[in-house]
Amino acid sequence: MSHPDTSVLAEYRAGLISGRRGAKIGAHLAECERCAALSGQLAEISVLLASAPAPAMPDSVAQRLDTVLAAEAAKRHDSERSGVRAPRHRARDPRRSRRDRFRFVTLRVLAPAAAVVAVAAVGYSLIHLSGPTNSSAASSAAEPAASAASSGLRPAAGTNAPASKAANNANPLERPSASSPGFTVISSRTNYLRSTLVQQLDEAERQAPAVTGTAPTAQIDACVSRVTQASPGTPKLVERARFQGQQAIVIIASSGHTAWITGLSCSDTSSDVLAQTALP
Amino acid sequence: MPGTDGERPSDAELLRRHVAGDSEAFGELFRRHRDRLWAVALRTVCDPDEAADALQDAMVSAFRRAADFRGDSAVTTWLHRIVVNASLDRLRRKAVRPAVSAADEQAFEALVAQGSDPARATDIRLDIDAALRILPPPQRAALVIVDMLGYSVNDAAAILNTSTGTIKSRCARARARLLPYVAHLRTDTEFKGGNRSASGSVSPAQGGDA
Repeated sequence: MSHPDTSVLAEYRAGLISGRRGAKIGAHLAECERCAALSGQLAEISVLLASAPAPAMPDSVAQRLDTVLAAEAAKRHDSERSGVRAPRHRARDPRRSRRDRFRFVTLRVLAPAAAVVAVAAVGYSLIHLSGPTNSSAASSAAEPAASAASSGLRPAAGTNAPASKAANNANPLERPSASSPGFTVISSRTNYLRSTLVQQLDEAERQAPAVTGTAPTAQIDACVSRVTQASPGTPKLVERARFQGQQAIVIIASSGHTAWITGLSCSDTSSDVLAQTALP
Repeated sequence: MPGTDGERPSDAELLRRHVAGDSEAFGELFRRHRDRLWAVALRTVCDPDEAADALQDAMVSAFRRAADFRGDSAVTTWLHRIVVNASLDRLRRKAVRPAVSAADEQAFEALVAQGSDPARATDIRLDIDAALRILPPPQRAALVIVDMLGYSVNDAAAILNTSTGTIKSRCARARARLLPYVAHLRTDTEFKGGNRSASGSVSPAQGGDA
């Protein structure tokens, strides 16, 4: 019998292959060291995954969820007191029940939206004032702002329409940095491609001094601090552009010898590096 | 009193109190399980901001739909199901990680290139988190629930609302696919030196998802 594919071995291990085919694989494993080793490695993946330390919920997220659930509880309490949910009212006149239900649904949809917007605004300012909560990596002066940015107090799904103002404010990519990081961010339409990356970066670095950038947002500031940890100093280039067609942040280290491309979710907690390359 | 264990009420009791109007009960239930729920959300969507949003969607939904809970599964299973669904919904809606991209593999290469030390737990976690990104979300969710959180295949099937056969199949494919990417994390010397060159002799599972 030829060596079974890794995926076949994995399925065999999971008990998905039985009968004659299963017996053949079992017999093969008994006499083939290579496949037996492979099977052992598959077993170790489960052990490795089980031993990976679980990420603790960041304080900012815990606070946000507590706030959201408290708002839900308060809202339910209010709607019960104002009689919105009183079923006896509907039961009295069956012909009105459909209209009442419509009203009930309207209130259930709109009231939460208003409450979440208010809570998001209050929650944001609280966290903003209280400074860093669980920020671990970034050690720059931008830390308080970065912490507020990563808390990302966005309203719950389904409430976006009336919440647009809060949503703008809560978008960490748009929120300005509170510190003075010493670099600006260029926005371009460049689509960096893996195949021509080094040449494109070289060109961008040469043109950068002539281009006017804007002050970085708190998130980009935190992202740059995190990504350039091993190569500190003012980066030569920070650019919002595209990489392989998707929006990305391009960073060239102060040394000019390393460049990183990250996704837009890059922050103080997750670098989201899409590519890294050495520059001549 | 039924459903209570000394002074600490059971999950089912907390949910019953919540439905009956207790304003504190749901918050207590959430705090009791939040770290595991966070782990599920974070590892399913692979992004802390998206995970926080998914978890918020899920908890608001669970808060409002608590009366629908019929008690045919454990409360934790029900909560996990809502969190996984909210996480997969987010991935579908926002396409945070559109399919399995070359960029994900590149991100993994970048992490390894940064010179991580396998002896450090945080590096192992970062590397595993990066490797998980290459999996299609349904496979990733199944593997996270079974291998990382230690749920049985039966519980995982209940959480993901599918059959045990599908869970086994998704986990098997996911493990085969991950093998070349996590080989360098294994502790035995056989792989320590060879690290990722293992992909030369081990062919990962080909494409596709259950």
